[in-house]
Amino acid sequence: MPRYFFDIDDGARTIRDQVGTDCADDKAAYDAAIGVLPNIARDILPDGQRRDFIATVKDQSGEAVFRATLSLRTERLRSA
Amino acid sequence: MTADASFDLGMLVRKLESIAPLSDEERGAILRLPATTKVVHPQQDIVRDKEQPTQSCLVLEGWAYRYKMLHEGKRQILSLHIPGDIPDLHSLHLPVMDHSLGALTHCRVALIPHEPIRELTLRLPSLSAALWRDTLVGAAGFREWMTGLGRRDAIGRLSHFLCELYLRLEAVGLAEGYRYRLPITQADMSDAMGLSNVHVNRVLQEMRGRELITLSGGHLTIHDWPALTRAAEFDPTYLHIRKVVDD
Repeated sequence: MPRYFFDIDDGARTIRDQVGTDCADDKAAYDAAIGVLPNIARDILPDGQRRDFIATVKDQSGEAVFRATLSLRTERLRSA
Repeated sequence: MTADASFDLGMLVRKLESIAPLSDEERGAILRLPATTKVVHPQQDIVRDKEQPTQSCLVLEGWAYRYKMLHEGKRQILSLHIPGDIPDLHSLHLPVMDHSLGALTHCRVALIPHEPIRELTLRLPSLSAALWRDTLVGAAGFREWMTGLGRRDAIGRLSHFLCELYLRLEAVGLAEGYRYRLPITQADMSDAMGLSNVHVNRVLQEMRGRELITLSGGHLTIHDWPALTRAAEFDPTYLHIRKVVDD
């Protein structure tokens, strides 16, 4: 199985993937990138009104081949 | 019986002595159990769901795991087993397997027929109690596993897993100095933690960034044990190890 690298930008910082994960094909790698974003958002429970979580998929050569962005927007509907 | 069976069964003595005291008679009785050794390749099953085994398996080398399969090849790893563990001891009393047991890495196992174990437990009730204690400690491990899967976040789950393995390996002499061989893949870890592969990868890198651990070439180094146990909310009571390391 080919190896893909998933750089994750959680809105505060980017962790570059040095290790990589084997996926069956491009489609499986894209699905993995999409699937991980809600989990990272849940881990972090961000504050602030808007936060973007971005997963960039690179192939073995280091070329970026796919990007998924999850935006979380919040607004208070009653003033404190 | 293979020539080195009593040497191999010493692994079981060491494991049981890490959780319960044994008398000379009990020690000798375990070492005289008949056993055949077998090599199992990575990802190969040792005993499968729905089978009715007539022997129990003692892990001698390598790591084994209990698991269940769901549709579309989804796998949940239920527990990991290291040398000295008898992961399917319960088949002595529960005839049908309700999950599978497989080799995670290259494994050498000793297969001990049920009948002589049963005979031993009738003859030496305190040895029976030690084996019972071993399965109870296993059940305590499942309670922690369940708490982790249900309520710990990803970093908490992984930290807890790594803390537990260190103390278990240390108890049977397979780890010291906050280092151990962790011969499992990221995919195995994700099936154990109920996380995706990419998520585990990210969390491991985050833990490395926080200088909690380094995982390289299948070797884990814990740099900051107190911080790792805090991230895990790790309380080793459930392992019931007689000599718990203190730092």
